[in-house]
Amino acid sequence: MVEMRKITKEFPGILANDQVSLVVNKGEIHALLGENGAGKSTLMSVLTGLYRPDGGEIYIEGKKVEFSSPKDAVNKGIGMVHQHFKLVQPFTVAENIMLSIKGLKQIYNLKEIERQIIEQSEAFGLSIDPKAKIWQLSVGEQQRVEIIKLLLLGAKFLILDEPTAVLTPQEAKALYTTLQKMAASGKAIVIISHKMNEVMENTDSITVLRDGRSIGTVQTKTTNEIELAKMMVGRNISSTTGKTLSAKTDILMTLANVSALGDNGLLKLKNISMDIYKGEILGIAGVDGNGQKELAETVAGLRSAKQGTIAFCGKDCTKSGRKKRINLGISYVPEDRMTTGLVTDLNAYENVALKSYRKYPGAFISWDKVKHDSEQLIEKFDVRLASMSNPVKMMSGGNIQKLLLAREIDSNPKLIIAVYPMRGLDIGATDYVRRLLIGESEKGKTVLLISEDLEDILSMTDRIIVMHGGEIMGVVKPNETSREEIGLMMAGKRKVGLHEA
Amino acid sequence: MKHKLLGSWEIKKTNTSSGLKKVVISVTSIILGLIFAGLFVLLTGKNPLELYTEIVQSSVGSIYGLSETIVEMIPLALCSLGVSLAFRMQLWNIGAEGQFYMGAFGATYFALFFSGLPKLVLLPLMLLAGLICGGLWALIPALPKAFWNVNETISSLLLNYVAYLWIAYLVYGPWKDPKGNNFPLTKQFSDNGTIPVFGNTRISYALFLMAIIAVILFFILKYSKWGYEIRVSGSSRKAADYAGMSYIKNVLMVMFLSGAISGIAGMAEVSGVLHRLQQTISPGYGYTAILIALLARLNPISILLVSFLMGGLLVGGYSLQTSGFPSSMVSMFQGSILFFVLAGEIFNNYRLVRKKA
Amino acid sequence: MKLSKKISISTLVFVMILTLLLSGCSQTSKPAATSDQGSSQSAGQKIKVAFVYVGPVGDFGYTYAQDQGRKYLESHMKNVETTYVENIPETADCERTFTDLAQKGYNIIFGTSYGYMDYMKDVSKKFPNVVFEHCSGYKTTDNLGTYFNRDYQARYLTGMVAGKYTKSNILGFLAPFGTPEVIRNIDAFTLGAQSVNPKVQVKVVWTNSWNDPATEKTAANSLIDAGADVLAMHVDSPSFAQTAQDRGVLAIGHDSDMSKFAPNSILVGDVSNWGPYFVQVVKDVMNKTWKSSQYFGGIKDGGVIDITPFSSKVDKDFQATVTAKRQDIIDGKFVPFTGPVYDQNGNLKVKDGDKATDEMLLSINWFVKGVVGSIPKS
Repeated sequence: MVEMRKITKEFPGILANDQVSLVVNKGEIHALLGENGAGKSTLMSVLTGLYRPDGGEIYIEGKKVEFSSPKDAVNKGIGMVHQHFKLVQPFTVAENIMLSIKGLKQIYNLKEIERQIIEQSEAFGLSIDPKAKIWQLSVGEQQRVEIIKLLLLGAKFLILDEPTAVLTPQEAKALYTTLQKMAASGKAIVIISHKMNEVMENTDSITVLRDGRSIGTVQTKTTNEIELAKMMVGRNISSTTGKTLSAKTDILMTLANVSALGDNGLLKLKNISMDIYKGEILGIAGVDGNGQKELAETVAGLRSAKQGTIAFCGKDCTKSGRKKRINLGISYVPEDRMTTGLVTDLNAYENVALKSYRKYPGAFISWDKVKHDSEQLIEKFDVRLASMSNPVKMMSGGNIQKLLLAREIDSNPKLIIAVYPMRGLDIGATDYVRRLLIGESEKGKTVLLISEDLEDILSMTDRIIVMHGGEIMGVVKPNETSREEIGLMMAGKRKVGLHEA
Repeated sequence: MKHKLLGSWEIKKTNTSSGLKKVVISVTSIILGLIFAGLFVLLTGKNPLELYTEIVQSSVGSIYGLSETIVEMIPLALCSLGVSLAFRMQLWNIGAEGQFYMGAFGATYFALFFSGLPKLVLLPLMLLAGLICGGLWALIPALPKAFWNVNETISSLLLNYVAYLWIAYLVYGPWKDPKGNNFPLTKQFSDNGTIPVFGNTRISYALFLMAIIAVILFFILKYSKWGYEIRVSGSSRKAADYAGMSYIKNVLMVMFLSGAISGIAGMAEVSGVLHRLQQTISPGYGYTAILIALLARLNPISILLVSFLMGGLLVGGYSLQTSGFPSSMVSMFQGSILFFVLAGEIFNNYRLVRKKA
Repeated sequence: MKLSKKISISTLVFVMILTLLLSGCSQTSKPAATSDQGSSQSAGQKIKVAFVYVGPVGDFGYTYAQDQGRKYLESHMKNVETTYVENIPETADCERTFTDLAQKGYNIIFGTSYGYMDYMKDVSKKFPNVVFEHCSGYKTTDNLGTYFNRDYQARYLTGMVAGKYTKSNILGFLAPFGTPEVIRNIDAFTLGAQSVNPKVQVKVVWTNSWNDPATEKTAANSLIDAGADVLAMHVDSPSFAQTAQDRGVLAIGHDSDMSKFAPNSILVGDVSNWGPYFVQVVKDVMNKTWKSSQYFGGIKDGGVIDITPFSSKVDKDFQATVTAKRQDIIDGKFVPFTGPVYDQNGNLKVKDGDKATDEMLLSINWFVKGVVGSIPKS
């Protein structure tokens, strides 16, 4: 049993945890639910010895403990699977696990380690080949490697940070089956999440954090999604967006037989043909890694088409790069906000200039003007920040996304490409982004929405294209399809009678 | 994060660092560096205070010392301005030394073979030649960097040796002064090929060049579109691509300009100070320039300041011997100050706070 | 994001360390200096003398010999205070060193390397009350004189020994630069060797530095590989002699007695003894009789140049032959470079019976017949 009592952790200007208490019992799956910035990650970093709390105590099986390093926490049986796996790609599964075994002798027995891996994986249904190289594994399999690693290290308390964010629905289901087995064997499991339906289905108890404070712990059986949502945001959230479907017919952009290579040089986009209509929200559904990112970059002009043609407003723009596409009016909200969409070392108004700096006459930028425009933008889009002169990396995740969207939308584009725009955002921010995009489409802007969340796709779009393996599996209308149909296409089953698009 | 040694204190990360704090930290670091090096001086049985006095006295304590410090400052500052531009874009141009030599080569070519031209024609020609040679030399590592992402650190570094040996070939061979008794020197530049100096000193008018370039760089980086592109590209190449900036074009332009400025330094040295080309024309200006650029946090104006200090240390170092100190002590001083300045950096990002009870 | 940050920080650290190393390497190191300090202008009419060296005093060759002279000066004269600075490169930086010394009140400044010439000339004009003495150069001003020794006299003698003891008839010679001084020495050495062994050849390798022990070692090995079994040199360090000893060949010393570095190899050597000349200069300055001149002293002038004692490997009879030749030189009965002297291409340079003039010797730019190698020319 792990107990955290009145944990307080302060960062410059932010009280990340304010007297948060948490009790996790053996044999249970405990969800830590909360919006982004609610303090979930900080709390778990305290538990794993990454941060030292400014106040409060931690008890493990009744004994008070103090961690001065993550190693101390590992020794007490606490292990964490991070969102970004810490694995060495060219090494095998066994070699990776070996790396974290403490007190490994100079002469070690890889065979023995492999045997233990197989033993653990069979016990909990985590099928994995210890001889496989990490880069050959899917994301779900890599996650399993991380879990097995913790088990071999003797972890009794497992913390998983957003474990299903990168998984297919099927993989997610398998993961929870495993976790339930592990809980049944006496381990305590903490899931950090903000996906309510998942939490409701798979956990035993839930602790909700908000603004660094614990709002309370509830038994999953005795609560419901509405109650949880209230606890998380402190107000009621309407789940419908009020989107009215519209059928548009004017073509804005056409992709004809477009193929493109991925970063690894392999063909990631295979012979894609599609039209984007003016004023619609076109959803692209698919499991992450099936060509959506490449599609977005090809449309944005960041990735050149290996073959095929692209036309925008009736004019061919296959060969034009990003700069020309910006001028054509193609805005792009990339998946990777922190290194692509924004320059996090630069401050807010310098980031606003990323799009507009070319419009200033002459060789120089009028920073006063930029500042002035940025102030207006920040007010209009309700971006909260301490100072416009602070580096963007000091802003919270939701506000960073708001700033990015504000910049991309404010430039009055014809097409907005939004890739996973709600990923990692809390309910409040998600809602904001949703309304913003729908609002823009109502104003006549076209939106290409790429998302893995079927809920979003179904509720926001006018048409849905489903991708699998770099190909289009089918085009459907949200009111004429079902989750099951889309799910099958995402899994690679082609829709028959495709040519209605 | 806590360390037992600190007892009831702990180190906390801070995100802001005020200007005053930075100054206090820099000054403290330098003082600590001096004290640390002074301990070693004590060990050799000499009085460190005397040595400090000697360094200050010889570098800035007299008109001559001051003028010599400025003589050293010019090549240091120019090379440093050059590398700082590349560093802004995270291009690790370690090749300033080679670019300096190639700049000297280009300038010398015109000084030797077009010595009859009037000064107002010859000097700009030499400047242009130095600039272009230095720039092209920097382009050599820039091209593979831009097109195939070949690491420019190593390639720019290795080209230094090529440049050095190319100069060696010239001064031992085809460019050797026929009347120079076979000593590896070119003949002295004609008066038309030398930059005028201030009065009785060795400070050439290249001082203006240095100041102008520093100011131009400052404005380019701070206010120009191109400077903005450099800053964005330096922070995140992905973001630069995303914003439609041409990374390749910027790599090539930045590296060319970076090398060109070091090339100008080389031109200024042969035309303003040495008045001839010889095998060794730099006591490592191109390398010291890297330290200066980093210590000055790539700020062009700070670079001038730090170059002046480093120039003073160089001059002080030469005169230490004449006052009876081992001159290697100056290298130790430089190392010691540098170590403390770098160590002081940590206090710009962290602060010591008393732990709450 | 975090990763890329880490990479850039580690790159930065790497670059800084690299820079430190490189800038450390590229700066000429200047180890300990000075003898009697207390540069305070203490009692009496002490005359202050400074020496500027291109190499370290511990080179046990050229600079060592000059510094021995300085010590001689100190121990033989009262009211003289000396200092020295070493490892001063032959670049514009040396101008600062000379200026600095002049400003610090030194009355006489000796610069011992050829490459200081133009800089000493410039500085001497700025300090007309300071006496400058430049070793091995040819430019003078009212207060800049030059001094050098008739090294070729000793070279001729040591060449005789080399010619006598070579079995392969190939002598190896390490040369730094193609200056008249170096060429004169190679020529004299060759003429001496040919006087006892007409078949002898002298192979020359250029090291392009006064003092670069590593390159000298390589050069020595290459000469031995090319068949040389007696090595000589005109650089500043004895490192070639150790190589010779390691490889089991013989060697001829230069500038100072190098026998202790390679007792099995060194047969004999030339030795410069500058002390008496330095004393003379200081006396002249004190008596206000000093005038800028070009001093060119020989064996007869009190040992400013001479040869070392012979190794026991040189048999007594031959020792006597060489010693007799030395006496002839002192007595003026014999002068090296007495005609006929032919250059490499067989051109008659000194007619039969003629003697080479000092002017010719100080600007000599050709190898005598028997030297294998070429002078780097523009």
